[in-house]
Amino acid sequence: MTLRKKKKIGIVGVPPLAVLREIISPETEIIDLDEPQVRASLDLTAPHLPRVYCAILRTVVLNVLHLELDAIYIDVGPGKCDCALHVATILRDMLDIPVTATRNQDTESFGTPLCRTRMRLTDKLLAITAGVRSISPHPPLPPCRPTAGFWGVPPRDFSLLELFPDTTHVYGWTRCMENKTPADLKLEAHVNPAVPTVFFAQSFCAKTALARHLAARHPQALYLDCDVSAGSSVRAKIEAFLELSGVRNARS
Amino acid sequence: MLLADFGTSYCKILDTEQDREPRIIATRDLDAAFIADLATGHNAARRSRRSINELTALARGGERLIGERDFLLLDCGSRDIKYVRYQGGRVTDMGWNAECGASMGFTIELLASYYQIDYNTLPVPETGFSITCGVLGMSHIFDAVVSGSSESEAVAKFVRGIALNAYRFAGSPAKLHLSGGLCDNPLFVGSFPCELIPLGRFVLLEGLRASMEQER
Repeated sequence: MTLRKKKKIGIVGVPPLAVLREIISPETEIIDLDEPQVRASLDLTAPHLPRVYCAILRTVVLNVLHLELDAIYIDVGPGKCDCALHVATILRDMLDIPVTATRNQDTESFGTPLCRTRMRLTDKLLAITAGVRSISPHPPLPPCRPTAGFWGVPPRDFSLLELFPDTTHVYGWTRCMENKTPADLKLEAHVNPAVPTVFFAQSFCAKTALARHLAARHPQALYLDCDVSAGSSVRAKIEAFLELSGVRNARS
Repeated sequence: MLLADFGTSYCKILDTEQDREPRIIATRDLDAAFIADLATGHNAARRSRRSINELTALARGGERLIGERDFLLLDCGSRDIKYVRYQGGRVTDMGWNAECGASMGFTIELLASYYQIDYNTLPVPETGFSITCGVLGMSHIFDAVVSGSSESEAVAKFVRGIALNAYRFAGSPAKLHLSGGLCDNPLFVGSFPCELIPLGRFVLLEGLRASMEQER
């Protein structure tokens, strides 16, 4: 008996539920191309993308250079970004596989239990990003009282999440991801003004404007952008902000 | 208790039981075996029993020395610049530029030594170079000297440009408290286009002292 090889499908952003229902099957392996899937230098993407570009989308290109994919679904609408729209064009020209651009404008709410529960922030974001490859909502979890907030997209470097307490609530596009409504700008702009919040965006991402804007209106906020990896100054800013805002025992 | 602010070029050390004033030691001259009880700065994790990060030390020092609920405190070091902003007694913004603001203090000191310039004797020039960091800014000096400017005039414009860059990094405030060794440089201090209050080079040590007292 010969085992049939699974079809490898790469996804970028949060494709619409209808697309996910179509592509998720026992015969397919869904790979989240927004996440680092290979150990290789991002500089290898330089022939295809400018070096000064969103680190997430550079990661997408790095992944496709190394993974033998059979198809790609890339979300390019208001639920992702214009940079992804242009990366879709580049991928089509680079590859001999189908590259399908989608525009996720789903409004069916899946809920946000992970964003509001007590859990290591790294584990929360790992669970939320893993949920991109699922068509089911996460099971209910008890909410906790927030002591800090993390607003933004899942960072390229998850190590910066280690500095936050387990009682950090998640806002911004990451919350929209869990809710499966990535184009829900109202949900993306939702924050809790009573909670010291770090407004994070990847450097060179259009969301830096919203992050800065919301941070400026929030009574206890730190705006932060970071490119590929979180250096010592990024980590020090988070650490100092949480401590000076009275968020003690960052990992408790 | 031995407190230390391990700067890139200078270490500021205070023995809270023996010293009346902090001591300043060139980092390259510091005994390799020296270990502080509580420290901040680039080598703090390696050279102390406990360390706190520089932004926290700066903020705590500012709280103690300034004693106001609203303030902006900018620290210009040898190789980086950082600031904290307080409003209503709470920290509302902070920044740390270790890349584009790199080597400002170090370059200013290097230029004084290379060109044998005393910053106490240089007037603040009417204009400065448009520069973003010490290293990139040096080419402006060479260009100006080649074009006929005196070395001291070119260096003065460089220093003014550096000060303006730091001022913009801090958000162009109307009033600014300054921390770091550059408080002793009248050309640098005079180049800020705002009300400026120099606090000296021991603000981070004061922050360490505040942390130490909080823990008691």
